[in-house]
Amino acid sequence: MTEMGNHDSLTVDSDPAGVIVVHGDIDVAGRPILEAALLERENDGPIIIDLGDVFFVDSSGLRSLLGASRRAKARDSIVVLRGVRPEVLRLLEITGTTEHFSIEPSRG
Amino acid sequence: MAGFTVDEIEDIRIAVSEVLLALIEHGGGQSIDVEFVVEAQEFRVRGRTAVQDFDADHPDLLLCRTVLAGVGTDHGIELVDDHAQIWAAVTHASIP
Repeated sequence: MTEMGNHDSLTVDSDPAGVIVVHGDIDVAGRPILEAALLERENDGPIIIDLGDVFFVDSSGLRSLLGASRRAKARDSIVVLRGVRPEVLRLLEITGTTEHFSIEPSRG
Repeated sequence: MAGFTVDEIEDIRIAVSEVLLALIEHGGGQSIDVEFVVEAQEFRVRGRTAVQDFDADHPDLLLCRTVLAGVGTDHGIELVDDHAQIWAAVTHASIP
């Protein structure tokens, strides 16, 4: 696992398969860390983000994910959210944004 | 807060986060006054900060409004006396 960024509330790693693995809260404080990791992966095809260790996302974090989705769509690619916890899925459902992502269960 | 369910407390967490997030991102960088009121059936958070320019209809605030509408029973985003004021209420569902 390669660390891509770290903040008090958020850590972003990259696993050997290139999956962005996020740990912590995606909020206004940790958002820049996630943004940097997403931009680093922008040209590598689909962006897969493992959210299995994310229990909280606020609207600023959601905007980062939506921005990544828009950019991916512009290059005919997608953003995959893997292992989305119920708390985070609820935010996506409340805001009607589930359609902007491919949502997969966690692996293993 | 006794009696609020785990899900309702999660809603409160989201509501507080959204109120503060909106004031941090759209406020004037001044201090933010936050008030919490807990009554038997309702939790209310109100945040307020001085601003020079504040667009209550900013597109980013639309997402904030959507989230607050989804987790709370009422909310408001407004400019009052050169202060951005944002509040949200989460009501404990009554047991019939």
